[in-house]
Amino acid sequence: MNKELEHRFVTELENNQNIVHKVCTLYTNDRDSHNDLFQEITIQLWKAYPKFRGEAKFSTWMYRVALNTAITLYRKSKRRVQTQDYDSVIFKIKTDEYDDTEEKQLQLMYNAVKQLGDIDKALVFLYLEDKDYAEISETLGITEVNARVKMNRVKNKLRTILNP
Amino acid sequence: MMDELELLKQDWQKKEAHLPQLTYDEIYKMIWKKSSSIVKWIFYISIIEFALPHLLYLIPSVKSNLDIYSQLGLSNVILIVTILQYLVVFYFIYQFYVRYKEISVLDSAKQLTTNILKTRKTVKHYVFFSLSMVLLTFALLIVGVYLSDNVLEIFNLTGKIETVSEQKVKFTFMLGLAIFGVLFTVIFGGIYFLLYGLLTRKLRRNHKELQKLEI
Repeated sequence: MNKELEHRFVTELENNQNIVHKVCTLYTNDRDSHNDLFQEITIQLWKAYPKFRGEAKFSTWMYRVALNTAITLYRKSKRRVQTQDYDSVIFKIKTDEYDDTEEKQLQLMYNAVKQLGDIDKALVFLYLEDKDYAEISETLGITEVNARVKMNRVKNKLRTILNP
Repeated sequence: MMDELELLKQDWQKKEAHLPQLTYDEIYKMIWKKSSSIVKWIFYISIIEFALPHLLYLIPSVKSNLDIYSQLGLSNVILIVTILQYLVVFYFIYQFYVRYKEISVLDSAKQLTTNILKTRKTVKHYVFFSLSMVLLTFALLIVGVYLSDNVLEIFNLTGKIETVSEQKVKFTFMLGLAIFGVLFTVIFGGIYFLLYGLLTRKLRRNHKELQKLEI
């Protein structure tokens, strides 16, 4: 029984690991921290897995656990100096896909997002993942109206970072 | 701005291809690793904090000090205080356990931070209580010294300081106890709140952020 549960869990996580990697990318600045956070999220997912009854999609359920771990449970401070080398690996922009100005602008946007606070980052992340406000508000535990208000404030914040 | 964020969204979704990929075995190994989450830390540190004041009694010099209580005529008072103290301690431990059990990674971010901070607050109140008990103990000792007629005997000073009047010795002891008691409380309180602040800084920041809009 346990072996079966293990196998099912690892397979599902393997198939959906992109979600976790994306959270790690946003919340950490170097490879070691990325792996560290990935491991912690995996442990939290596994501990909570027996409570996963399949009424939601596994991926939906993952967003909540992964974000909660990054925002709340993860212990390492993200106050480290941002190291550019790892960012550029993850956020690499293929030059043939974009012209120069667009590439530059995207890079600036990514850097601006990384400067946001933990909660603002979670909002942007869920937005980028194409989640609606109902899901955003439920994941964070705020009302839908407040999620919208907050998202607008984040957009303003990003604007200020981009055009100081 | 809207367009810029839209642009970012498109690019973000294209990025999936560049993300690192772990194998089945790598993930399998991870599920057996120990968690190092803040909740674990809070749990262990809280246990130490619960146990620490009681471990102090195991130190021989503290034990011999307990004899002084009886010589100062404080035995009964101390017994009652101790019983009350343990009742309160068990109440705190029970509260801590109930709140700790409530912490679930499946809650919303706000609920989760609220529950963790509540758990931690139980320990904070416990530390307040413990420090008050320390102060009370010192206060009792001071009263004991004040009321006793044979201070020199109790502290094994008979014959050692004959030149000084007993009144003066009494006063010096009381003052010394008061200063030591306050210093002890301030130092331990300071260490604790520094630790407390460091441990929950991120939690409190994010909790405040989530709370900001709900007023």
